[in-house]
Amino acid sequence: MLMKKSRFAAGLAAVAAIALLAGCAGGTDTAASADAKPDYTKMTSKELADHLIFNGGFNLAHETQEGTTVAARMTQDNIQKMCTESRNKPTPEQVGKIVAEARASIKYPEGGIKLGDWKKGRDLAWSGFGYRAGHNNDNHASREVGANCYNCHQIGTDRTGGNFGPSLTGYGKTRGNTEGTRKFVYEVIYNAHSYFPCTIMPRMGYSGMLKEESISHVMAYLLDPESPVNK
Amino acid sequence: MIRKLLVAMPLAAVMVTSAYAEQTPGDVLRGLIDRTQSPYLTQSPQNVQMIDDSPAIWTGYEGGDLFKAPRGPNNVSMESCDFGKGPGVVKGAAVELPRYFADTNKVMDLEGRIVHCMTTVQGFAKDDPAVRTRHGSNSDMMKIMTYIAMESNGMPWNPPLSHPLEVAMRDAGEEMFFRRQGLMDFSCATCHGPDASHKRIRASVMSSSSVPSDWTKSISWPAFRVGQQHARSPQNRVRGCYWQMRTGQIRQDSDAMMAILSYWTDAARGQPAILPDMKR
Repeated sequence: MLMKKSRFAAGLAAVAAIALLAGCAGGTDTAASADAKPDYTKMTSKELADHLIFNGGFNLAHETQEGTTVAARMTQDNIQKMCTESRNKPTPEQVGKIVAEARASIKYPEGGIKLGDWKKGRDLAWSGFGYRAGHNNDNHASREVGANCYNCHQIGTDRTGGNFGPSLTGYGKTRGNTEGTRKFVYEVIYNAHSYFPCTIMPRMGYSGMLKEESISHVMAYLLDPESPVNK
Repeated sequence: MIRKLLVAMPLAAVMVTSAYAEQTPGDVLRGLIDRTQSPYLTQSPQNVQMIDDSPAIWTGYEGGDLFKAPRGPNNVSMESCDFGKGPGVVKGAAVELPRYFADTNKVMDLEGRIVHCMTTVQGFAKDDPAVRTRHGSNSDMMKIMTYIAMESNGMPWNPPLSHPLEVAMRDAGEEMFFRRQGLMDFSCATCHGPDASHKRIRASVMSSSSVPSDWTKSISWPAFRVGQQHARSPQNRVRGCYWQMRTGQIRQDSDAMMAILSYWTDAARGQPAILPDMKR
């Protein structure tokens, strides 16, 4: 983080100096000299992308449902940075770092991992509501935050799910509802990078999008022998 | 005299080529389907049927009237405005945007250029509803934008990369496209990258920026969105994507917006534009 920031700052200072020089020499071109923009052509594409995002490109001060701002959402953490840099094909060294960091991030429920209500889990798995911010803000007081599972996974056979992720139809039937399975499923939902570094699956627990109780319901939908997923 | 001629020439061109004398947006789409049999392009037979009766075509016709009418405090039409191919030239302008404009020293898209024309040439204030209201088929903006875009239907996307700023913005846009961020760690590439081609979000088949013959439909905006019953702009689509990604709002007309649009247009290079398109 520090490294990146200082490198970025140095680049910015350099382009600012160039922009100043250009502005002085510019003379009559009011459009160019009025806004003292850095010279975009002197930046690397990554520096420019970061510059555009954090200097007018996004509504950074906008407050988010999790109590931070859009600025925090747009700031990359280690895993996001490594997966961006490698375009989701991390080097062996990055794999080690990502898996270790993801494992360390997982918080387990007190009293063990238990299954909730598969019916609630079915509704959550289907729902894509929650945490959208900008021209419309999802109001969490009006509806429960969904788990978005069906966007990428086929789960039950009564609804059409996406296929970005593997099919989870019959998941509990084939894996069994054992302590080992429950731990694995919990960890994948919480932070899937612990097993699949640079996966596209969101870190549903780590990000705070799904609370402990919601995770227990989604897990019941996948693992409970009574769930239609396993019929 | 010369000035009169300059105004008259593009007008004549418009009259000859309007009403899709050569091909309709539906023709362009069906041509792509015949060539590729793409599951992305064919996923909604209803949309393929309805595109010939798209309400956005009427939005564009209304825009043509607005474009040619003397308007604003200066009581002049938009026919002297430069959309990149010289004053008054709209034919083929939309498929060559975003591009660099010397008069603002910026890379600008069609929407930004319409705002520039309305505020500098016609004299509208920036907060005049005619300029400020950007969304919906009833807005001047969507009418005028759809009109200009229609005049590029069937033409290959060809945004210029001759100015260093155009290259810088396109490359920064690619960085933004692959940048993972936000609560769900998404990037544009999560749904539209090389690995996403023809995968499905629920029942919706995805297009990839690495498959230009699909991608041209994805970036063909203005389009009539059936689910919203309005013609929508490229910027509206980008805003919606970031909203779905759980980042936050990308700013209208910002350079970040221009970077993304520069990348996505370049990715469709050479493929025919479907303007206006119809989407779910």
